[in-house]
Amino acid sequence: MKNTASRSLITLSASALALPGIAKADAPPLNSSLSYKISSYREDDLSREQVPFGDLGRYDIDVHQFKFISPLGRDYALFIDANHENMSGASPWFSTADNDGQPIINMSGASGIYDSRSEIAIGARYYSLTGNIGGAIGYSEENDYRAKYVSVSGSRNFNNDLTTLTVSASHSDDEIFPSDAERFNRVRKENKRAKSLAVSLSQILSPVASFQTALSLTGQSGYLSDPYKLQDSRPDNKTQVAFSNSLRYYFIDANGALQGDYRYYRDDFGIHSHTLDLSWFQNVTNSLKIVPMLRYYSQSPADFYSNIDDFLKPLSENQSSDYRLSAFGAISGGLSFVANFGGWITTLTAERYVANEKYSAFTVDKPSPGLVQFTRLSLGVTYEF
Amino acid sequence: MGTYCEIQVFETSRVNAKRQIRRLIEEARRLESKYTRYRDDSFLSQINGSAGNQNGIRVDIETAKLFEHAQVCYEQSDGLFDITAGVLRRAWDFNLKQVPTESELQGLLPLIGFDRLTWQEDILFLPENMEIDFGGIVKEYAADSLAKLARELGVKRGLINLGGDFAAIGLQPEDKPWQISVSHPDNRAKAMAHINLHEGGLASSGDYERFFVLDGKRYSHLLNPKTGWPCAGLTAVSVAANLCTVAGSFATIAMLKPKKDALDWLRKSGLPFVFMDDAGHIGGPGLIG
Amino acid sequence: MVKLILVLTTLGSLTACSQVQPWERGYLAKQEMAWDSDPLERALNDHIFFSKEASSGGNTAAGGGCGCN
Repeated sequence: MKNTASRSLITLSASALALPGIAKADAPPLNSSLSYKISSYREDDLSREQVPFGDLGRYDIDVHQFKFISPLGRDYALFIDANHENMSGASPWFSTADNDGQPIINMSGASGIYDSRSEIAIGARYYSLTGNIGGAIGYSEENDYRAKYVSVSGSRNFNNDLTTLTVSASHSDDEIFPSDAERFNRVRKENKRAKSLAVSLSQILSPVASFQTALSLTGQSGYLSDPYKLQDSRPDNKTQVAFSNSLRYYFIDANGALQGDYRYYRDDFGIHSHTLDLSWFQNVTNSLKIVPMLRYYSQSPADFYSNIDDFLKPLSENQSSDYRLSAFGAISGGLSFVANFGGWITTLTAERYVANEKYSAFTVDKPSPGLVQFTRLSLGVTYEF
Repeated sequence: MGTYCEIQVFETSRVNAKRQIRRLIEEARRLESKYTRYRDDSFLSQINGSAGNQNGIRVDIETAKLFEHAQVCYEQSDGLFDITAGVLRRAWDFNLKQVPTESELQGLLPLIGFDRLTWQEDILFLPENMEIDFGGIVKEYAADSLAKLARELGVKRGLINLGGDFAAIGLQPEDKPWQISVSHPDNRAKAMAHINLHEGGLASSGDYERFFVLDGKRYSHLLNPKTGWPCAGLTAVSVAANLCTVAGSFATIAMLKPKKDALDWLRKSGLPFVFMDDAGHIGGPGLIG
Repeated sequence: MVKLILVLTTLGSLTACSQVQPWERGYLAKQEMAWDSDPLERALNDHIFFSKEASSGGNTAAGGGCGCN
């Protein structure tokens, strides 16, 4: 390495670089912003082969998301999130075998399910020269479910702000009170708690590359079964571990950025999974970006998963035919357009998700007939002021 | 800032540019109202007002870091760049063109000395009658802060000029470097040199009309904190560095050193610079034509 | 007239090899280089995948639950 700089230059540069206005890595957002995003996603209908009787339609869901961010003075910021979603349709109720021993699905309620969920969360954050610390409280309510949660997190920058350590923790207290509980002999009211802790470390590698590695630990306890399924009984405790690695790389010649995220997950229901997310942000002009995305996901089954419900098995034994506990793989692809004009940012996204046991990276002994495919469209606007 | 300031940004959207400029002016005002010598309610005036106070004065982290940088300047210049040297203005009045007596100066010298400041954590104890002057540091720091903020606001091309202290963000449109004229020490309206500035900072220090000639002798406003008498070094120097703050520290220290020392020291830094000496000779590395 | 061209040396190459100086972080400061470059999109995806797959958890601690899983 060439070293022609004088001692004075190095010393004076080092102390100048420690000045807050020059070095300050953590600061509240510079502008207030208000965002709204509307999304609609439709699960594909099941086939008559999968569902010999009744409706084939699954969920149609509309989601409205609002986000308000505002700096408060020089060192604080306020965050408000509000979401509302409407769902209608049907979901698998129980699974039986047909004459050939193949699993077939029986869908819930012929009249269908209508539910909505509203959520609000308020948070604040303090930014100092070396990091930030903040917290949020949230509340979410559905016809049959209520969640209250609180989260705190803090970040600290080291090593000339090249390295950042973030620690976050959260607690959620949930109540489940299924509708039509008496008529269908469902549980009346149950509770569920979740505690979560995550630690992440990010490092700037070069002027165009940074890397983040994170470990999160979640413990759930209480009623973890699905109250709407006829034959569903899961353990009262669940521990989940997720190990995530993310890379951001800017290609100067291509004028685009690559986001790559990989997550390994496992829990003590026996499920392991791999998730790989890739996005390419292509700057087309100063105010237009095109973002293709690709995601691959695959999980192994829960120890107690079965694709055909065994009605002779006592509910004191763990069992479930929930497709989300089966072994499968899922591939999704999407495309976003992001346009930025005079303080307005408009984002249009289309995504297609296909789950199939054939895509599984794990052995599939009992394929689920109920895997989902869906198509999503989103339109988002953000106004900065 | 008590001086001419200019902010240029190049943006395709007028609305964005206006918002960016508004935010930058806000930040410039914040720094000015905090560190100006010319207002009694500035934080700097409060610090100076605390001189002799047994309880000292608690300073925020930004001010503390400016003191730390001032300490490095003090050490790197062997005590020539001293932010406590402002008390010499009590004896030197460059408008009246009067030369103070040696005894007047001797009376002020005990009030100078960065090493006489004492600290207890973030509390500064400024001895009685002493004062702090962030000249050569704070305006340069403000230029860098504004440039940093501008980049965060999305400015790709822009130039911050705070009374001759420049911080550039990117290049000019069509990828041309910023053309900066450095004023002539004898006449501000005249250019001493033109400098092409790429991304980074440029700062100048010089006599700039704040000198007088009496009996054929030139008295510069740049005073040696150890003797109280003007420094007889260069008449003007402009230095470019990646940060305006660094450029400013180099320019100020170079003006306080004897001519030969100053040029040796600047050359050793490897930084581009241009200077003018008392004979009117203009030079410096990178000089062409 | 005297003409001067000043070419700036990069301090980064002078101090330490692995140091990325603050003025070299322009690309890293871009929105698309952020860990959470589109919070609404990320929240929506987290929510959808949480309701369709068994896995959850990531870079930060989870928020509240919902009746969807």
